[in-house]
Amino acid sequence: MNYHKYQSKSGFSFSYVMLALVVVFLFIPLFVVVFFSFNSAKGMQWDHASLIWYKTLIFNSPSLWAAFKNSLIIALTSAVTATALGSLAAIGIKWYRFHGRSYITTVSYLPMVLPEVIIGISMLIFFSAVKVRLGMFTIFAAHTTFNLPFVFMMVTARLDEFDYSTVEAARDLGANERQTLTKVIIPSIIPAVLSGFLMCITMSLEDFVITFFVSGPGSGTLPLYVYSMIRYGVSPVINALSFVMILGTMVIAFTFRKFLKTVAASS
Amino acid sequence: MHKTSRFFLILLVCILIVSSVGCKKSSGRNGKLYLYNWTYYTPDSLVEQFEKETGIDVVIDNFASNEEMFAKIMAGGNEGYDVIFPSSDYTAIMIKLGLLAELDHNLLPNLKYLSPLFKEKAAYDPTYRYSVPYFMGSSGIAVNTERVPSDYERTWAIFADARMAGSMSMLDDMREVMGAALKHLGYSGNSTDIEELQRATDLINTQWKPNLVKFDSESFGKAFSRGEFVVVHAYPENVFAEISADKWSTIDFFIPPEGGMMYIDNMVIPKGARNNQAAHAFINFIHDPKNYAVFLDTFSLPPTTNTGASAFMKTEHTFFSIEDLSNSDNISDLGSNLELYNELWQTIRYQ
Amino acid sequence: MKKTLKPREREQLLGTIYGGPMGLWFTLFFTVPLGIIILYSFMKRGLYGGVEWEFTLTAYKQMFNPSFAMVVVRTLWISVLSTFLCILIAIPCGYAMAKSKHQTFLLFLIIIPFWTNSLIRIYAWISILSTEGFINSVLMRLGLIDQGLKLIYNNGAVVLVLIYMYLPFAILPLFTTIDKFDFSLLDAARDLGATKLGSIVRVMFPNIKSGLSTAFIFTFIPIFGAYTVPLLVGGKDSTMIGNIIVDQVSKTRNWPLASAFSMILTLISLVGVFWMLYNGKREQMQKEGGTKKTTQQALEHNIKAHHSHRGTK
Repeated sequence: MNYHKYQSKSGFSFSYVMLALVVVFLFIPLFVVVFFSFNSAKGMQWDHASLIWYKTLIFNSPSLWAAFKNSLIIALTSAVTATALGSLAAIGIKWYRFHGRSYITTVSYLPMVLPEVIIGISMLIFFSAVKVRLGMFTIFAAHTTFNLPFVFMMVTARLDEFDYSTVEAARDLGANERQTLTKVIIPSIIPAVLSGFLMCITMSLEDFVITFFVSGPGSGTLPLYVYSMIRYGVSPVINALSFVMILGTMVIAFTFRKFLKTVAASS
Repeated sequence: MHKTSRFFLILLVCILIVSSVGCKKSSGRNGKLYLYNWTYYTPDSLVEQFEKETGIDVVIDNFASNEEMFAKIMAGGNEGYDVIFPSSDYTAIMIKLGLLAELDHNLLPNLKYLSPLFKEKAAYDPTYRYSVPYFMGSSGIAVNTERVPSDYERTWAIFADARMAGSMSMLDDMREVMGAALKHLGYSGNSTDIEELQRATDLINTQWKPNLVKFDSESFGKAFSRGEFVVVHAYPENVFAEISADKWSTIDFFIPPEGGMMYIDNMVIPKGARNNQAAHAFINFIHDPKNYAVFLDTFSLPPTTNTGASAFMKTEHTFFSIEDLSNSDNISDLGSNLELYNELWQTIRYQ
Repeated sequence: MKKTLKPREREQLLGTIYGGPMGLWFTLFFTVPLGIIILYSFMKRGLYGGVEWEFTLTAYKQMFNPSFAMVVVRTLWISVLSTFLCILIAIPCGYAMAKSKHQTFLLFLIIIPFWTNSLIRIYAWISILSTEGFINSVLMRLGLIDQGLKLIYNNGAVVLVLIYMYLPFAILPLFTTIDKFDFSLLDAARDLGATKLGSIVRVMFPNIKSGLSTAFIFTFIPIFGAYTVPLLVGGKDSTMIGNIIVDQVSKTRNWPLASAFSMILTLISLVGVFWMLYNGKREQMQKEGGTKKTTQQALEHNIKAHHSHRGTK
């Protein structure tokens, strides 16, 4: 019978063409950015190929690196915190009933979905109402807050596929709660935890709107630095940095390619 | 799993090493100074010189508008900064709200170089008790003479010229835009008369806005240099910094003869600033005529504030002269009357 | 701790230990700030920002100002259009990805651009769309136009860049759901005489409802609250609700009004999230109820449904 009638047309089918176009579309700005990072002139006119902006990037951009360092510190700390809190909560919500469970389930999706301006402004207003000085801590708090839902979601998705009988078996063999946790549960959810961690780092490094509202003296992050260059145009040094970061993320994504599927599956 | 995590760890360590190498090497043995300044308002060379002379490490945060700065300060950012650069209307507000520390003039001997004319304009703080003027300047209009017909009107009415429709922008700043309209109609730029304000709003909405592409206070310089906009309501230093010096003659920057809106940017020290000593030292450093001349030369600005600096200036052709400001009004604080402006500005900006 | 707890109590305690920290964090840094915003929307504005403790509905009344109405309408149509196009494009993409043998590689491709700094990507679009940017210079070089087209600083540019930024958010959920879809059903439908498109629309679509609603929510809501894109690539007539909110906080210092707008945005988002969760739950219940059916039975079920539909015509 014609069971393969459907499959055989998939060579140049509409959907594949569409996908190819979309990938090209998604990459166009990246090519533009990388292309102009090698342009010796500052503006849009192509002058000649040059590595001058890369040199400037490495040796002569102190404020950029200061901002980058801040971004990195905040990304790491908020990712660690969010991953820890989110993973534990996912375990708790999945298998235990306790007061406040439905509250947490409802609330945990919101930061992911709400527009960033709302989160940013509400945190700014909150910090000013309780008179907490804006700075690295406030950015850290904000980033952890919007990172939590991602971790929670990913670990929950992984737990959905987890065979609870393993836990029961462990209990039958006499393991207490802590042992069950560390020796049975955690090892098997590590993929989800790691992808959650990576997701946090990405979202944190990338964030602009929320950070804009809650940053304070000396706590500028990389996106803020980029934004402050609007007035005088974006120096190609930023293009050079972007290329380096694109390479970096490609390397990391490639290393953790197994976990990419979990990333998609939990969204 | 172990291999990849080790690799990741090594990568992380590399990144941290590179970024700390790239970071400033100075140890700041005399402490740190936190500035909250307009983007690129103080030349890097001056900052570095200050750091060398005093051994104090300078950290600068930027803002693009007074409102942004003020929103941050009100939200508790006040104590983090040692020197802030508000414009005079916000300086007045901050004085009123008790946010500023009194200055110790004994630590500021270079104040003697400040222009005496200034005291007239600085009604908000005539004895420099809380603030020291940084620069008195103005916005104006920049025209790309290569792309417009040669008979454009050198007044605010240029924005009503439909020949350049779709290639013009004005600042996204309520006081600047409404002030320009008020001045064009012959009123005070700080008017609080509802009829005058309504007429100014109508002028903007019916004659100017249809020809504008955007209200832009941030990227107009770049857009102008790209040829996207050919007439911009602008601060001169932003426009000229984007264009190479050999093309400066093709740009006509002028402050309309009917007058515009001036601003006076000040240096203030917030109450509770951590490094009060360094803050005073910085303010004094800026007004050393040799240093101030560097600032003026970098942006080709006239010595409106510090008269001693003119002896050291190298630039001959500044973007505008002090005389150009004779008809202009300084943007001053309107208190609760600001609400009148707000409502009308909404009809301009959002409709 | 050798104290023996009843199983129910033990569950309670452990659950709280696991879930408590995140719950506390959320309450402190999310629920409380939102609560403060609700509160502020009912207060009187302070002259220099902040609020004065006086209950008033002024902020909500101000929201009905005609100038804001235009912005709301504009935000609605831009959001609906962008979301619609995003999903329209994302469906074939998700489909192609689900059927592909190189799924991880494709995922990789879709996610990488998304991991670049969003401001950089917006700037890249500015230089592509400018009057003397990439597109225009190519068109002029080819002699197709004399003068640069005005591609930027208008609503079209805003829609384009919004679609660009949020396509991955639409593709990923759709890919996930389609991936779980049983493609043999499509073969079966074709065998019964349905066209290729017909089988996709009548058999696949109803089964990927949860993916569709997730994709919708993850694109529509952020687009609805967009701020940076209209600010940077929009023209004077491109102000959206997100811009108003920021303006009211930074420029006009009318925090109650900003809070009022934020409340409306939050309510809309909440409705959307609940709808999405409801759809997801319903589909999960359907699946759980139906996993006992084999493909054969599902086929028969669909055939019956098909016939009964035709029978009622």
